[in-house]
Amino acid sequence: MKYSSSVRVTPSGIVLNEKRLAFASSGEDLLVEAYRKQIGDWPKFFKMDPLSKAGFVSSELLLSSEEPRKHDCEDRAVILYNRSGSLADDRIYEGTIRSKEEFYPSPAVFVYTLPNILTGEIAIRNKYYGETSFSVLEEFDPTTMIHGLESAFLDPMTASAIFGWVECGSEDDFDVCLFLVHKEGEGLKDFDEKEFLRIWKI
Amino acid sequence: MEDLKTEIKEKVIEALKLADITPSDIDDEAPLFGEGLGLDSIDALELMLLLEKNYGIRLANPAEGKKVFVNVNTMAQYVADNRTR
Repeated sequence: MKYSSSVRVTPSGIVLNEKRLAFASSGEDLLVEAYRKQIGDWPKFFKMDPLSKAGFVSSELLLSSEEPRKHDCEDRAVILYNRSGSLADDRIYEGTIRSKEEFYPSPAVFVYTLPNILTGEIAIRNKYYGETSFSVLEEFDPTTMIHGLESAFLDPMTASAIFGWVECGSEDDFDVCLFLVHKEGEGLKDFDEKEFLRIWKI
Repeated sequence: MEDLKTEIKEKVIEALKLADITPSDIDDEAPLFGEGLGLDSIDALELMLLLEKNYGIRLANPAEGKKVFVNVNTMAQYVADNRTR
């Protein structure tokens, strides 16, 4: 396997292809600043839950260096993992139904109470019709994650994947490490567990 | 009625998280769905919740929303006629 780009996104900063991007904000505001400065044409971003905001901005930055940017295709998968599922949004939703006096369950919040909504957001944005999956692990486990990626590449249709870890505990607590991985490709970097961990530790 | 329209616009912007839009950007006659603000089916459910939460109005029949949520004018008139708080 090879990869063409990587992105690390944490509340303190964004590192795209091993270069730190200059932003003034941190936490949730960092994602909004990155959206406004680098993306800006998908207002649904503001309706997303914290997990989807983190994953969406990360995937957009990851794809920003792809030339030409792949769009409307069946051969790209989205394979994501984390530890907390949709817990950040689950908590927000719980807040809308906590008391009998203020019992107003929000449909817009409820729709994000599944982590795989994020894979759908990315697929819709890019018109990807390939495989998507979001698995919840007990902890960050690159061996298991890469095994899942290899399994996805057993499908002869799948040629590349947005792959990685999108953890989110709350609006200001997220940890993302994504790669654009290709089954094969000349001139691209090798992708394996060692490389995954090297970028993860940036 | 003008104050109610402005209030409804503010609540719609807040409830639907319409970033970078102010009440003055929303035309009273502009369709809320389709063109206009480009709202979707989830937004329609949020608007129903907005009426219940802020004005004590519960739409018994969701299909009724089609008539109520045509634009800000129809929303304001419905709120004025049916509000319980």
